[in-house]
Amino acid sequence: MIKKTKETQKNSRQDSEVVINKLENMGGHMLKEIDEEVSPSFEAPLRSKSNVLFDEKIGCLHLGEKNETRSFINVGQARKFMQTVAIANKCKKFLKEDAHTSIRGLFYQLKFSLGENLDEELFSEQSESNPLIEDLEVSLGIKREDLNLNTDRKGVVAGPLVLRDRFGGDETLIDGTKQGRSGWMIPSDVDNGMTIEELDAEFVLVVEKDAMWQRLNEDKFWRKENCVLITPKGQASRGCRRLISKLAQKKLPIIVFTDCDAWGWYIYWTIKTGSMNLAYLANDIATPSAKFIGVTMRDIKDYEFLGNLTIKAKEVDLKRAEEMLNYEWIKRHPEWVDELKVVLKTKKKLEQDALQGPSLSFVGKYIKEKMEANRYLP
Amino acid sequence: MAKSNTDKIFSNFKEHSVAEFFKKNKQMLGFSGKVRSLTTIVHEYVTNSIDACEEAGTLPEIEVKIHEITKNERYKVSVKDNGPGIPKKHLGKALGQMLAGTKFHRYAQQRGQQGIGAAGCTMYAQITTGKPVYVVSEYADKKLTCNVAVDIKTNSPTITDEVEEDNPQGAHGLYVEGEFGEVNYERSAQSPYEYIKRIALANPHVTISLLEPTGELTTYPRSSEIVPKKPKEVLPHPLGLGVSDIVDLAHRETDKYNMSSFLQERFQRVSSAKVDELAQVMSGKTEGIIYLDFKKKPSELSWEEAEGLIKAFSMVKWIAPASDCIHPIGAEQIQTSLAHILAPEFIAVTERPPKIYKGGVPFLVEAAIAWGGQAGRRLSNNQVTSDIIRYANAAPLLFDISGCAITQAAKDVDWKRYKLKNFEEEAITVFVNLASVHIPYTSAGKQAISQEDEVYQEIKNAIMEAARRLQLHLAGINKERDRAQRRNAVIKYVPQLSHDLSELAGKNTKPEELAKKLTLLIETKYMTHILGDESGEEGLEENGKEAEDADDEKEE
Repeated sequence: MIKKTKETQKNSRQDSEVVINKLENMGGHMLKEIDEEVSPSFEAPLRSKSNVLFDEKIGCLHLGEKNETRSFINVGQARKFMQTVAIANKCKKFLKEDAHTSIRGLFYQLKFSLGENLDEELFSEQSESNPLIEDLEVSLGIKREDLNLNTDRKGVVAGPLVLRDRFGGDETLIDGTKQGRSGWMIPSDVDNGMTIEELDAEFVLVVEKDAMWQRLNEDKFWRKENCVLITPKGQASRGCRRLISKLAQKKLPIIVFTDCDAWGWYIYWTIKTGSMNLAYLANDIATPSAKFIGVTMRDIKDYEFLGNLTIKAKEVDLKRAEEMLNYEWIKRHPEWVDELKVVLKTKKKLEQDALQGPSLSFVGKYIKEKMEANRYLP
Repeated sequence: MAKSNTDKIFSNFKEHSVAEFFKKNKQMLGFSGKVRSLTTIVHEYVTNSIDACEEAGTLPEIEVKIHEITKNERYKVSVKDNGPGIPKKHLGKALGQMLAGTKFHRYAQQRGQQGIGAAGCTMYAQITTGKPVYVVSEYADKKLTCNVAVDIKTNSPTITDEVEEDNPQGAHGLYVEGEFGEVNYERSAQSPYEYIKRIALANPHVTISLLEPTGELTTYPRSSEIVPKKPKEVLPHPLGLGVSDIVDLAHRETDKYNMSSFLQERFQRVSSAKVDELAQVMSGKTEGIIYLDFKKKPSELSWEEAEGLIKAFSMVKWIAPASDCIHPIGAEQIQTSLAHILAPEFIAVTERPPKIYKGGVPFLVEAAIAWGGQAGRRLSNNQVTSDIIRYANAAPLLFDISGCAITQAAKDVDWKRYKLKNFEEEAITVFVNLASVHIPYTSAGKQAISQEDEVYQEIKNAIMEAARRLQLHLAGINKERDRAQRRNAVIKYVPQLSHDLSELAGKNTKPEELAKKLTLLIETKYMTHILGDESGEEGLEENGKEAEDADDEKEE
């Protein structure tokens, strides 16, 4: 049985040799178990809600001490166990061949019949393979990128930073100030052969919506304010969160700008503390220092025009607000408690886009003003 | 076969004239309906043959042939056995004189006990076709061939065309062939075909074959080499008799006894003190019981007096009859023949001690359940139904199904409790044999057992005992099925896992080797489960039910 060693993960991608070793050890342990006439198994931290804890010191979610054992000779686990080993073996091949694929690519590599006599495929849906990849990550203490598995690219960056990208034998320098109207698309893996060469920004502004990012880009906001301008385009991908986290490690303040609604809050908190789903990665991809600049319900007081631009909160927004009041990592902040209570009371919400009400460029002014006044939510 | 032995068997022949009676009342003796009449004929000859073989200590081999002369009307029946044969001087009485069978006056437990026997068949041939029966009897050093008929007026045999030859090889056996009218052959539940099968089921030491009119030959070879012990002859017990039995016995009494000595000499457990007690009861002072002169000649006993005597018997305390005269078929024998003929998946046979009914008549019930395989009955549309097969002293009871205590008891069992959802539709054969010197038949046709409380209850308890074992078996099957399913649910992934694991570990372990080890591990794990380490809940549940049943039985 492989015990997950509580090693402090390095913040960069693990050397492929190290990962191959981990995979081989996993297999070796199973062989040993078979020789000892016990069911082959592996152990992984339990990933259920009950085992997701909030680390107050660091300010992010992480997995607790509860482990679960996956065993092959167990009717309920046999298939998943076999599938997990198949994924492990396939990833070992990718690593040896230095080939990358997406989790969908992996799924297709493993979507084949288990034999003539069995009307069954190794995998028949991607929804089957995705959680098993997470199992492997958790059990081995690695990230999927370490297994040469890419996640979807999502998110765009622009601003005063230069990245060195070593990829496919080539090496490219990417200048964040020279990405034109569309910005640079953040890859799924910002560790693999990717280093920050130069960084001359004073802060990082993360904007929920692509439209808002384009607005600020057009307004040369990042140049005027000397910041890195990022949009995750909705929920932040792993790569995007990892990049934000890396920039935070460079001591840059991270300022997040989203809608004032359930989805917006969720995006912020995922960036800040990590998500429950990926709690095992929180150390790597959470950014506890992130601050929330808006939009807030308080803004209605400061910007009268916003009062007319509210929309009715949906059921899901209210439900989410109630839930958030129960999360210990949120309810410890009185500012958030107040904010959420206003939402629950007024049953209203505000979108980023509303800030374009007075004029299209008002957004930049709004951000500057709030930053100067230091009006953040923690 | 030694001559003296053969003689001894047949020296007990006695005469009784009921030929006229039979002619008028043949339906009472099983000759009612065309199919039933044919089955009765086969029954009479076959049981005679088996009894004769057993008495001589021979393993019976019987060939039954039925040949169609006119469809649905006239058939030729022949039965051949390897018994001791019948010597010339007894042949006429055995086959041509009513109530002169080997059984009537002897109180041993035997199959036939009708006392009509082969002579009844001769008579039936005569009155339906006018033809005598043809007989070949090989015994000692003789081979006798002849035709036998009954002179109905005098109830005496008429033997014609007699040929006696030497039999230097000492072959032995009896061949009887008769032509019968008002009969029909079909393969129904009450046909000779079913009868022969049931004979084979209850008599594993018998090899018996049937050649049907269609030319189809069915043979049931013996599955046991043990000839059942000769039944012990005992005197009748007063409690085991009906009015007609007493009248018959008394009227056949030729010795110059009076009633007092007749009762003491011809019955068991009757002492002079008991006769005094009876005389007291029948002194005319007991209400509802008429006076009987115990000095009266038995041959002058009236029906009414016999009725009084039966009542008086029930008012006096008796020592129970000896139970060592009961001869069950034997659990092992039943097991063997059920396995042999029905090839079922499961058999349960009970072994229970004798019980007593009517305050003193010993009897013993043997019940068996065969489940799966060829058990149950197959209808013409291939549908399977349950089958209840009834025996009295190992002789099949085919008729009067619904009026029989065995049928009733089997149907009254709550089969759902024994994991049989629908008893009627299961491939199950419920086998019940009632062994007793005095079988409580419902009627003179002797095809159904009457609902004597003690007998009915004992039959039901015996069936329930067998059913409990079936239930455990079925529960085991379910467990087994679960176990197999679990095993398969895991084992099917072994090839893929072995392949990936051997590559993943990168230690040059062969996938085949891994697969072998994994398979063994899985087999062992799911084997252990059935051996009991996981049987906890289920086992408890079963034990609970078992206890419940045991309680029921006590109450009942």
